[in-house]
Amino acid sequence: MSTNPMHQFNVYRIGPEISLGNVDISFTNASLFMVISAFTIISVFFIGTKRKAIIPTKIQLLTELSYTLVSKMISDTAGSKAKPYFPFVFSLFMFVLFCNMLGMLPYSFTVTSHIIVTFALAAIIFIGVTIIGFVNHGVRYLKLFIPSGVPLFLLPLIVVIEIISYLSRPVSLSVRLFANMMAGHTMLKVFGGFVISLGVIGGWLPLSFTVALTGLEILIAFLQAYVFAILTCIYLNDALNLNH
Amino acid sequence: MKKFSELSTRLKIAKKKANKNSFTNNRKNTSSLGAALKLSTEMVAAVFVGSIIGFILDNWFDSKPWLTIIFFFAGAVAGILNVIRSAKLMQKNND
Repeated sequence: MSTNPMHQFNVYRIGPEISLGNVDISFTNASLFMVISAFTIISVFFIGTKRKAIIPTKIQLLTELSYTLVSKMISDTAGSKAKPYFPFVFSLFMFVLFCNMLGMLPYSFTVTSHIIVTFALAAIIFIGVTIIGFVNHGVRYLKLFIPSGVPLFLLPLIVVIEIISYLSRPVSLSVRLFANMMAGHTMLKVFGGFVISLGVIGGWLPLSFTVALTGLEILIAFLQAYVFAILTCIYLNDALNLNH
Repeated sequence: MKKFSELSTRLKIAKKKANKNSFTNNRKNTSSLGAALKLSTEMVAAVFVGSIIGFILDNWFDSKPWLTIIFFFAGAVAGILNVIRSAKLMQKNND
């Protein structure tokens, strides 16, 4: 076993090499875990919604609770206009949550600890929200960059700053998720390495740290998925209601 | 029938309790940790994006260091603006 804490983030090919033109689109361990998490979500929700009992089973309770969580989050932050986007936000939340949680299992791979994955998700949100804004408000959506009550001579500066602030949304969204997941998993691996190197006598302290950190990591895995979804709602709110 | 009415009163009491307690408690705990994680990246991302825009414009206009420097500071300002905005939003949500 390698003791390199970054070893767990290696992406390697599974099965044959497939390339489309110059692009390598082979099936990797990252794609495997994305498929696994998507499959887990589908099966959990399939089983959970099959029998609609009055007194719910645990799995039905899970599906119903996650539904209320996301639906409440949308109506709280983005209002009733955002209801049609519920399926998107819900699947986004579930995908990120399950990717994070599956990454907590030993020997598994955390898909969301790669910036390209989180950035792709954030870019989809960013482009989608921009399109929704322009469709709903037309050119008036550009008013987002001009806050009300700004003196005219400050306007060029403010507009540049607002545009940077708008463009920084997908970056902050993706970096937050990626950095939290990667830092947490690296830290767990480093403390795990200390347990081995300090042996039976000194290894107990890092071991207890590892146990505590695992709990913290599970909390962060949930929290980051939640933050990712709630920020999507906030951006949707900007695009739908235009009240800066 | 008696059982049902009993159940409904018990449900009402449970709902009231749930509205009072778990809601406020839960929210404060999770959102404060989320806030700490959120604000830090907000700042960094804006500076990063500002510098990148400056760098691209520099290559475009052939004005090597200047636009990068200017847009770095614009990015810092945008970052502070972002942080203030999300902090305000959190404050509004907590009340």
